[in-house]
Amino acid sequence: MSDRIVREQNRVIRHSVVELAEHWTVALSGLALIVSGMFQLPMGSRYYINSIPGLAWSADYMVSLNVHYAASILFVAAALFHTVYHGLRGDRGLMPRKGDLLTSIEVIKSFFGEGKEPPFHKYLPEQRLAYVGMAFIIAMLIVSGLVKTYKNLYAPDLSYAVVLWATWAHNIGFVLFVLAFVAHIGAILLKPNRPMLRGILTGSVRLDYAEHRHPLWIEEVEGASREVKAESAAMTPQEPAGPEQVLVAADAVQEVPVEEQAGDRDIGAGAPKEPGEAGSDITKPCGEFPREG
Amino acid sequence: MKKSNELPRLSRRAFLTASAGALAASGLAWPSVAQAKGAGKLATLIDLNLCDGCPNKEVPACVAACKTINRDKIPPVADPIPVPWPRKTVEDWSRKREVFDRLTPYNYLYVHQADVDVDGVPKTVFVPRRCMHCDNPACATICPFAANHKHENGAVVIDQDLCFGGAKCKAVCPWEIPQRQSGVGIYLHVLPDYMGNGVMYKCDLCYDRLGRGKEPGCIEACPQKAMLIGPRNEMLAEAERRAQQMNGFLYGRDENGGTSTFYVSPVPFDRINATMKKGPGRPDMKPGVERRMAGTDSLAKAVLAAPAVGIVAGAAGALQWLSDRKARGEKDEKKDEKKDEKKDGKKDGKKDGKKDV
Repeated sequence: MSDRIVREQNRVIRHSVVELAEHWTVALSGLALIVSGMFQLPMGSRYYINSIPGLAWSADYMVSLNVHYAASILFVAAALFHTVYHGLRGDRGLMPRKGDLLTSIEVIKSFFGEGKEPPFHKYLPEQRLAYVGMAFIIAMLIVSGLVKTYKNLYAPDLSYAVVLWATWAHNIGFVLFVLAFVAHIGAILLKPNRPMLRGILTGSVRLDYAEHRHPLWIEEVEGASREVKAESAAMTPQEPAGPEQVLVAADAVQEVPVEEQAGDRDIGAGAPKEPGEAGSDITKPCGEFPREG
Repeated sequence: MKKSNELPRLSRRAFLTASAGALAASGLAWPSVAQAKGAGKLATLIDLNLCDGCPNKEVPACVAACKTINRDKIPPVADPIPVPWPRKTVEDWSRKREVFDRLTPYNYLYVHQADVDVDGVPKTVFVPRRCMHCDNPACATICPFAANHKHENGAVVIDQDLCFGGAKCKAVCPWEIPQRQSGVGIYLHVLPDYMGNGVMYKCDLCYDRLGRGKEPGCIEACPQKAMLIGPRNEMLAEAERRAQQMNGFLYGRDENGGTSTFYVSPVPFDRINATMKKGPGRPDMKPGVERRMAGTDSLAKAVLAAPAVGIVAGAAGALQWLSDRKARGEKDEKKDEKKDEKKDGKKDGKKDGKKDV
């Protein structure tokens, strides 16, 4: 990935342009799907929503269906792109790790002043769990939505059992998606998480924030840079590193993209390490870090 | 067959003779139960040449049979019926069950009397009206709860145990056929004030009777044999043949993208339609009604193509990334080789006491 530290600007590149595009395509089309999906229920007229300026279409099922379809095209294509693109690259940063469930509980408790949160990788343990949950909900919505679309176009007399399953999976998926969407927004609004908002808007977060809260991630990024240095040194084992090589290595620590080095990548992070593997200074709870508001 | 706006030149005698002849020749005058029960799509044919509106009966036979069969279909209505919020629409026909001259939740078929003028000759045509059981019915395909479904035999059936009575099916039906009874249905057990408003009812082509090998009640009861049911292809062929034979007109083959109900008439349907004042429970008969969901087909096809687009783009992006990484690796190797050569040169230079320039 493109994770790298830019010390002179006190920032860490957290998301590539591709990742930002994926996230915002899914988020905005998902929002449009929620709204147009709700208007597929007979509520536009009943609740006088169609009398609100600009929302007259809320009571026109054909218009709201077209909006739903248009948003689906972006949503489905982005979701499949994400799966294939990161799948082929071997990105695993958002995959849950052992112990994420218990750690998530600890972290959530720490949000309410109980205990201290542990040091994090690039993503919080609950982010990794939420990712899998959201992926499941989205898969459920996409599969059922495609069945419904196929039925609308080509097979209105599709097996009733299939239609019932698809319809109710879509409806239940809709409710879960709305809940997950709200929870996602709620999570980013929590004070300790707010510095990450900049990450998903601009692609980078503050280095001092990341060093205190995501030390395992920073270690991974720096570790990847050290690997470069080690590899360079290994190529000339008999000779001590000259001044020029040291200069190259120092640059690498500052601005070497992880993707060029790490064998086992996150979606945006280097090779994950267990907390114990990191230096003792970064295994300490980081609850004392003065969080940004 | 004529186009819908051309008047037929047909005397009443020729009109009746042609109809009787067609009926006899077709061999479909009384389709067997086996045909109705048979696999594949069914369709009905309504021959307006034959329907006389049952002049000696208070209620046309088909309507009476339909009412009898469906008499106990609607469960007892809640009393009082919850008043929905904020739009306070309550539709209660439970005290007007006897109404038979329009569609209601208790009446799925009525006969419209069309008094038309054919070449200066006044003529009366009786038109039984009910659900057309469309080939691709929007009422069923976009029901948010899949309470309405087009079954494999062609019948479009509302499951009254799943319907919330939101009337979306009525809104998307070109003829606004389904009718609502408030105060019944599943919505009473969920959020009756805020969600749902009863159950929608309409003709289900006597789906249960078909399953038992019987014909729909209206068809069985028609003394004129003006209605037929059978395999769709055969019914359509018969309808076209009759229309051609009587130099008449066909309705339902193309309307709303095609239906499973074919009306054959010696009178143009735009003339019949002119006698129909579209209103609640009284559909019109405008020829050439377009399928309302046709306007969503293009985007729906694009939705079905979206997964392939995402997969191809994702694979292309990942392969590009792999290719770039490989290229960078080779570049780095060359760079390192150059450095090595440079260092070797320095070593040699030191040994020789010379410096590279």
